[in-house]
Amino acid sequence: MGKTTYKRLKGSQSFRQRLLLATLSSTPIIIDEIRADDMIPGLLRHEMSLLRLFETVSDDCVVEVNETGTRLKYKPGIVMGGKNLVHSCALTRSMGYYLEPLLVLGLFGKKPLSIRLKGVTDDPKDLSVDTVRNATLHILKRFGVPSEGLDLKIEARGVAPEGGGEVLLTVPNVQSLTAVQWVEEGMVKKIRGWTFSARVSSDFEHSMRFAARGVFNNLLPDVHIFNDHKSGPHAGKSPGYGISLVAETTAGCYISADTAVSCGRADETGEIDVERQERKPAEDTGVEIASWLLQEIEKGGVVDSTHQGLLFILCALCQQDVSKVRVGTLSPYGVETLRNLKEFLGVTFSFRPDPSTGTVILTCVGSGLINLSRKLS
Amino acid sequence: MAADELMPTHKSHRPPKSGPTMEKKSENDKKKRGVSDNKQQNPKAFSFTSAAKAKILKLHAAEKEQKRIHLPTIDRNYGDPPPFVVVVQGSPGVGKSLLIKSLVKHFTHQNVPEVRGPITIVQGSKNRIQFVECPNDINGMVDCAKVADLAILLIDGSYGFEMETFEFLNIMQVHGFPKVMGVLTHLDKFNDVKKLRKTKKRLTHRFWTEIYKGAKLFYLSGLIHGKYSKLEVDKLSCFISLSLTKFHPLKWRTSHPYVLADRIEDVSPPEKVQMDKKCERNISLYGYLRGCNLKKGMKVHIAGVGDYSLAGVTALPDPCPLPSAAKKKGLRDREKLFYAPMSGIGDLLYDKDAVYININDHLVQYSKADDEIGDPTNKGKGRDVGEDLVKSLQNTKYSVDEKLGKTFINLFGKKTISTSSERKLEEESSESGDDETEDCVMDVESSDGKTKQKNEIHGGRLRRKAIFKDEVGDSDAMGSDQDDVEGEEDVESDGDESEDEEDDSASDSQDLDEDDVQEAEDKVLGNISKWKEPLKEKGREKKPNLMQIVYGASRSSATTPLLNETHAISDDDEESDAEDFFKPKGEQSKNLGGAINVGYVNADDCSRFVNYGNLKNWKEKEDCEIIRNRFTTGDWSKAALRNQNSVPGDEGEELYGDFEDLEAENVESGTNQNKDSEVVERRLTKKLALREKFDANNPIYSEAKELGYVDKVSKCFCHLFAVVCSLYVLFQLKEELETRKQMNMLELNDLDEDTRIEVEGFRTGTYLRLEIHNVPCEMVEFFDPCHPVLIGGIDYGEDNAGYMQARLKKHRWHKKVLKTRDPIIVSIGWRRYQTVPVYAIEDRNDRHRMLKYTPEHMHCLATFWGPLVPPNTGFVAFQNLSSNQAEFRIIATSVVLEYNHQARIAKKIKLVGHPCKIKKKTAFIKDMFTSDLEIARFEGSSVRTVSGIRGHVKKAGKNMLDNNAQEGIARCTFEDQIKMSDIVFLKAWPTVEVPQFYNPLTTALQPRERTWRGMRTFWELRRQHNISIPINKDSLYKPIERKIKKFNPLVISKKLQEELPFASKPKNKPGRKRPSLDARRAVVMEPGERRALAIVQQLKLMNKVKMIKRKAKEQEKRKAYEAEKAKEEVISKKRNREERRERYRTEDKQKNKKMRRNQD
Repeated sequence: MGKTTYKRLKGSQSFRQRLLLATLSSTPIIIDEIRADDMIPGLLRHEMSLLRLFETVSDDCVVEVNETGTRLKYKPGIVMGGKNLVHSCALTRSMGYYLEPLLVLGLFGKKPLSIRLKGVTDDPKDLSVDTVRNATLHILKRFGVPSEGLDLKIEARGVAPEGGGEVLLTVPNVQSLTAVQWVEEGMVKKIRGWTFSARVSSDFEHSMRFAARGVFNNLLPDVHIFNDHKSGPHAGKSPGYGISLVAETTAGCYISADTAVSCGRADETGEIDVERQERKPAEDTGVEIASWLLQEIEKGGVVDSTHQGLLFILCALCQQDVSKVRVGTLSPYGVETLRNLKEFLGVTFSFRPDPSTGTVILTCVGSGLINLSRKLS
Repeated sequence: MAADELMPTHKSHRPPKSGPTMEKKSENDKKKRGVSDNKQQNPKAFSFTSAAKAKILKLHAAEKEQKRIHLPTIDRNYGDPPPFVVVVQGSPGVGKSLLIKSLVKHFTHQNVPEVRGPITIVQGSKNRIQFVECPNDINGMVDCAKVADLAILLIDGSYGFEMETFEFLNIMQVHGFPKVMGVLTHLDKFNDVKKLRKTKKRLTHRFWTEIYKGAKLFYLSGLIHGKYSKLEVDKLSCFISLSLTKFHPLKWRTSHPYVLADRIEDVSPPEKVQMDKKCERNISLYGYLRGCNLKKGMKVHIAGVGDYSLAGVTALPDPCPLPSAAKKKGLRDREKLFYAPMSGIGDLLYDKDAVYININDHLVQYSKADDEIGDPTNKGKGRDVGEDLVKSLQNTKYSVDEKLGKTFINLFGKKTISTSSERKLEEESSESGDDETEDCVMDVESSDGKTKQKNEIHGGRLRRKAIFKDEVGDSDAMGSDQDDVEGEEDVESDGDESEDEEDDSASDSQDLDEDDVQEAEDKVLGNISKWKEPLKEKGREKKPNLMQIVYGASRSSATTPLLNETHAISDDDEESDAEDFFKPKGEQSKNLGGAINVGYVNADDCSRFVNYGNLKNWKEKEDCEIIRNRFTTGDWSKAALRNQNSVPGDEGEELYGDFEDLEAENVESGTNQNKDSEVVERRLTKKLALREKFDANNPIYSEAKELGYVDKVSKCFCHLFAVVCSLYVLFQLKEELETRKQMNMLELNDLDEDTRIEVEGFRTGTYLRLEIHNVPCEMVEFFDPCHPVLIGGIDYGEDNAGYMQARLKKHRWHKKVLKTRDPIIVSIGWRRYQTVPVYAIEDRNDRHRMLKYTPEHMHCLATFWGPLVPPNTGFVAFQNLSSNQAEFRIIATSVVLEYNHQARIAKKIKLVGHPCKIKKKTAFIKDMFTSDLEIARFEGSSVRTVSGIRGHVKKAGKNMLDNNAQEGIARCTFEDQIKMSDIVFLKAWPTVEVPQFYNPLTTALQPRERTWRGMRTFWELRRQHNISIPINKDSLYKPIERKIKKFNPLVISKKLQEELPFASKPKNKPGRKRPSLDARRAVVMEPGERRALAIVQQLKLMNKVKMIKRKAKEQEKRKAYEAEKAKEEVISKKRNREERRERYRTEDKQKNKKMRRNQD
């Protein structure tokens, strides 16, 4: 004892999960050689912003970054949570990037978390806030998270270059998560969608909706896509539009697909002008996302490939009972998650492929993590 | 016959059938059976005399019921439970060892010469017991209390309770209360039966107040031939086995794995030890795993030593296994196993990292075996002539295996299979490693791959060395345990070296020496999997296991095609190859990573994995048909099939089954699984039936159900209903947990043994060998088997230090209050350490105000620094650990409320100042601050005068005071003008620093009898250095001296006087020169008056004289009377004494006479 022993890691891969799991298992870490050979070495702006976010929600955590940003020393503190927190995210990644670890972190805090995030709400790389709200939160509820207090409120949209969006996330505390037996996928009973447009004409939305609904015509009548046209201060600073589709099954699984298109481009002068060349028509985006959703459904599993990582993390954080989940083909991110889980929590999954459906059933014994920071009443 | 006739025949006992006692008894009996004797004429009239009373009674009953129930917990121990730990505790010389000896004798018919370390015995077909003798020092008591499942408190009946007993009870209460049983010994010292009975009663009642009413207190009447009487031990053992059936799970223990080591070995390389005696040692510890499952890579705390990471964990075959399942009642003799390696008894002896088992010669035909199997290993070594002769004589019919099959020790397997390659390896190992094998070495390998044995002949005695192999390594490639260990070490040290190299290259070298062992462990595991790979390939078709893809070759899997989707990307890679050369380094690698990021260290952190390129055209009808059944519009039955056929997973297992089918065990597992599912079903149906029954039996509940949650029923019944409902909820909860447990077992039974250990860790109840490296040599040097060695697992974050806040109460038997910042020794979780607490109390406004001393009879908050433990963990505090103090050593008990990285304790401080200049509402205050800097800190804070005038500190008042003022004068403004005589206060709440100090108790690294010394308390330091308590003279109480106020005469100004009305005006009268007329006037009496006055005077005089005379007479009389009385009293006193003396004498005489008569 005495001196803290750090776990040594390399590279910037799975940065979010490493921070998250290090915090939950209170393991101090040192990450070396973060993009040491890259053109732009060291931590990127969104990673720094994530570190700031972790500092905001936790108490007494120590972050040390060297001058070049290629080495990070992180000693986790205690997750405090709390009300009226504000964090402005870096604009290089969208809110989904920050929300994914934050949702899990908030569960194990001392007080319920209520935080206002500012920045880019939707981009094609990460989960859009609509998807988080309509699919991810449902996954959390499956693990025994109380539904009251678990909410994401989208107060303003903001797309890529300039952002300007604002969401309010509230996460309740849990004592521990309950293990799940979640192998039944069920059948898709309804598809819901949310489109948005900010600082552009709402025609984009309509054409996307129309195109997306056309794809489902053969399969399901119960398709409803809501639109959300924003203008003024609620529309953020850049023009853009996007769509998020969620398929709900009879067994209570939510499979999602989403994207966002940003029409803005930041000039040298800082002005934003709508750029039209080499952009796909909005109909194509709609069809693409609808097809992507169907592809996810085809792959099977109780969650889509994007949510695999989160699902595995939640399984590993459960009580020391057996969790059993079915997923489609393992995504690279999911595999990376599994490795990280083994490294930090010592949770190993066992796999049983199901060849008839092309899915994999994963079984694990939870690590039995208990929310220790809660005060004894 | 003759003798019989002479003796009077005894009548058989005839139980009395009448008389007052019998009547009472029969009445009691009737009451018990629920038979009411007095038939009531009108039962309706006596149903409820008072509604209110009935209501209260019902409420009371319901409340009692609520208190009884508690939240059900899930028991996650699958398989055989570890032996129950029975701790025998008592003050020195009370007979602990003797009790253990006699209990062991009773259970196993074995004699134990001395009790050293835990003794494991098989007690029944399902139970095993581990007896532990609690040492007499407080450290050992603490460790024992943490592991005990049942504590037997030995109490010297002739002496009464001793402090140790109560200390132990208190320690146990804090660390989760196990079952407790008291035993009174030394009862043969009483001669008087009545006194004995009284003592028993007294002690029993005292015992009950301490534990609970009706707690079991057992009496051992005395020694017979130096042993407790057989009958009583029999009875006691009965009680022990009864009380071991059901436990309430203790929270700390069910969430932490722990091992009570019953054997400890120094496995450090001998060369190293020879080079340097003080070098750090490697040790291996053996014991049953308890609590919860032990995961690989978990850190452990060895009580009294410190925190270590496990260098290796191996599951060993149980040295003291339970008898096989299909059995009738009772144990056979050979199953009455007994394992006490540190006591060095039984047929088990332990030597350097191995067990020697003595087996009678007639049970083992060893030389035959030597001929058959031992030969090849013995090529180079010669053999005695005599031995050859003996061997030629032993042409026995049966092989060793058949004989061994009959022996009762089932450590050994049945078949001997050994391939030539393995033999070679073993030869090497035996040549290189084991120099002490003298004459012949025989290796027998068992088919089940659990144990190996080695026979050696030392002199005339056969010692058979049973070498336990790593269970992880199923292959037989390892020579001996020793080699195995060394191999691991090699790997480890390699890993360390390589890491060290990396570290050297790294720029920041702050924590370089502190390499985490976890990585090294990973490497070890990786190695295992490496040498296991060929095995796996042999066992099954080439298809890679998904688990292997994900975990096994994780570091090099960047190039392996992970999934079918990745093919497209790899194509892209080829295309980009040509251009790689011209691209900057980072860009290139980024592209290489592309979408499949796995394995590339700087891969983009993105959860989405989208490839829009190979999207199907879902608008086509054919494409849609593939997923048609995934929608509610599709075929429901087919969709149901999709979920169904995968749940049992039989087909999948056959197709993708691991190589487990090679092993015989897993054939069973399939059937087991079916069986289990059957069992589950059966249980479920049983449960359902039970629930039905419950519903039926609770008419209130069903009635309420019908009514739709009660509308007519009164409030009282509402409450009752709530209680019943809560019971129902409890019932449901229990059921849920049970199904969850069954489900867990079902799922885990599906897995093969290796994966199961990977997934859930080592199961509780397994016998483990834990290897720990770099332990201080003192641990081995001062190892004392009589002290328990407790190894407890550490959960996430429990090795990090931080502030903890606890609710603490001074123990009521500790005489003094505790002082803030005086070091205390706490036993918390598995640990014992010294820390420096700061006591506080919570104010109304959530402020934590520091206290200098703990309150006397109240809880307070204690904040201290140390390794974190989860909230709701209890701890117990000591100040002095030495055994030779008469006082109660426990000073406080407490429970941790929360932990924090900040300690927010404030203390009240009052700054006092005096005005030095007053300008209307502004005043300059001196003496409050010493410098202007200080004033700057307090700008804006509020101040107050004694008279209650409020104000604020503005600024340092330098320039206002003509620049010649000294430092530290503050300008303050008040709501009103203050006076120069006012005193000004500033109340502030500065935060108090809690010292970041904790010092682990290293009691295992010093001779056990020496008392551990750490930081000393103020009191001890003062006494040692002969420093008196500093006294602040201002704080002393002095008599208040008040000067007598001298008031000046009242002066009224002339002007005012003139204005006053006449009545209020002071009237100045000039002094008179001559006396007034009244004073000068003379009075002359009339003659009649003069006579009358004279008569009255005379009468008065006469009366006066008369009275004086009378008084004198009375006094004389009184004197005489008193003298008379005194005289009388003296006489009566004397007479009385004599009379009494006489009376007593006669009485005594009579009594003696009576006694003599009785004796005759």
